[in-house]
Amino acid sequence: MPYLTEGAVLTVAISAAAMAAGLILGLALALATQVHARPLRWAVAAYVEIFRNTPLLIQIFFIYFAMPNLIGLRLPPFMSGLTALALYTAAYNTEIFRAGLEAVPFGQREAARASGLGPWQEMRFVVVPQAVRISFPALGNNLVSLVKNSSLVSVIGMVELMFVANDISFNNFRSFEVYGAAAVYYIALILLLSRALAWTERRLAV
Amino acid sequence: MRPLRLVLVLLLTVLTLGLIAASATPAAAQSTLETIKNRGKIIVGVKTDFPPFGSVDASGKNIGFDVDMSYELTRRLLGSPSKVEFVSVTSGNRIPFLQSGKIDIIVATVTVTDERRKVVEFSEPYFLSGELILVPKASPINDLKDLAGKKVAIIQGTITDADIAELVPQANRVKYGKVTEAVLALKAGHVDAYVHDDILMLKLGKENPDLRVTGKTIYPRPYGIAVRKGDTEFIGWVNTQLTNMRNDGTYDRIWKAHVGEFGAFLVKP
Repeated sequence: MPYLTEGAVLTVAISAAAMAAGLILGLALALATQVHARPLRWAVAAYVEIFRNTPLLIQIFFIYFAMPNLIGLRLPPFMSGLTALALYTAAYNTEIFRAGLEAVPFGQREAARASGLGPWQEMRFVVVPQAVRISFPALGNNLVSLVKNSSLVSVIGMVELMFVANDISFNNFRSFEVYGAAAVYYIALILLLSRALAWTERRLAV
Repeated sequence: MRPLRLVLVLLLTVLTLGLIAASATPAAAQSTLETIKNRGKIIVGVKTDFPPFGSVDASGKNIGFDVDMSYELTRRLLGSPSKVEFVSVTSGNRIPFLQSGKIDIIVATVTVTDERRKVVEFSEPYFLSGELILVPKASPINDLKDLAGKKVAIIQGTITDADIAELVPQANRVKYGKVTEAVLALKAGHVDAYVHDDILMLKLGKENPDLRVTGKTIYPRPYGIAVRKGDTEFIGWVNTQLTNMRNDGTYDRIWKAHVGEFGAFLVKP
């Protein structure tokens, strides 16, 4: 049981880090699509399509196993897993934020400009806050998926919850009890996350 | 969500899982041998990442020592070697697969240990394997003691995990699910060495010119074929076939075909 808890702690750590990185990157890329520069939009679109349309497992394997030989970049399991999870989740977040940004009524932008705000201020104080509110439920779903997807990182030797569950059950052959316990951990973690999200959503509500 | 509701949801989950467990207890009334005969097909768990015992050739066919042993068992039970279905297993999942009824029998390099005897029925030994070290060609590692402070790839669910923990506690064990992943990790420089069964290391060392095998063979232990715990009828039948295969030259033929080239480096039973 303490071993499982140890795994759960790393699951939380990698999920939280990937969440933060994924949100920041997703928002930044979504904002980039709002700039009137075609190459930039194409670049973001290409990134989103590549990371959304390939299995996360392939991305994890690619970063961990292929990068060292390809470009000499050798990231340890945690960093490899974090990079893959962040890039994968950011691809979804980009689309969610983009949809949010585009859902802000154009009148809001016109009003911002009419009240003398510059383009930066218009984004910062008028469009983005509203877009975040609109995007929030979809983002929440994506964050829940992220916590569960973090179990895939177990394949590259990262000692998170799923890895620990495998490790224990492969040695004591009590798969039902061990995976059951791991499932309860995931449910507990995700229920906590949902509560935090619900709380944030209430606070964001105008 | 209120804390109370949180607790309730958790409780319900545990309860549901418990119900699933209760209903999933296998109804093992019929003997496995009978089940297989009625089905007209035997389902065998073999490895697909463990040459020369269980791997897959370019056309997707299962090949190896264990695979040929399975064909022989199938022929002797059902009249034709083609009446076998292979299920790919790993060191980690092979015993759960057997316990849950996904497979009838494991012929997948299972080292006989006391721990495993508690959960499965083992046949007489059919191979003897120790452990060796696989390293990159230029590695300074030449012995077990050189592994201290080094990252060592281990496959989850193998006996090597406990062996390295016991023999070189200062080694940093990095665990993977499959042999292919451990080899990739070794080639990518994520680990300094990979320790596993001697015959596998010898084969991988031969197939990969950038890797070499080193160390003295540790802990030679037998491989056994495994069936579900308590299934003495089935394991008795397997043992009879193993004896027959030794007497009629089948075993020798399989041995020569798959591990003959490494004969000089293997521990003799």
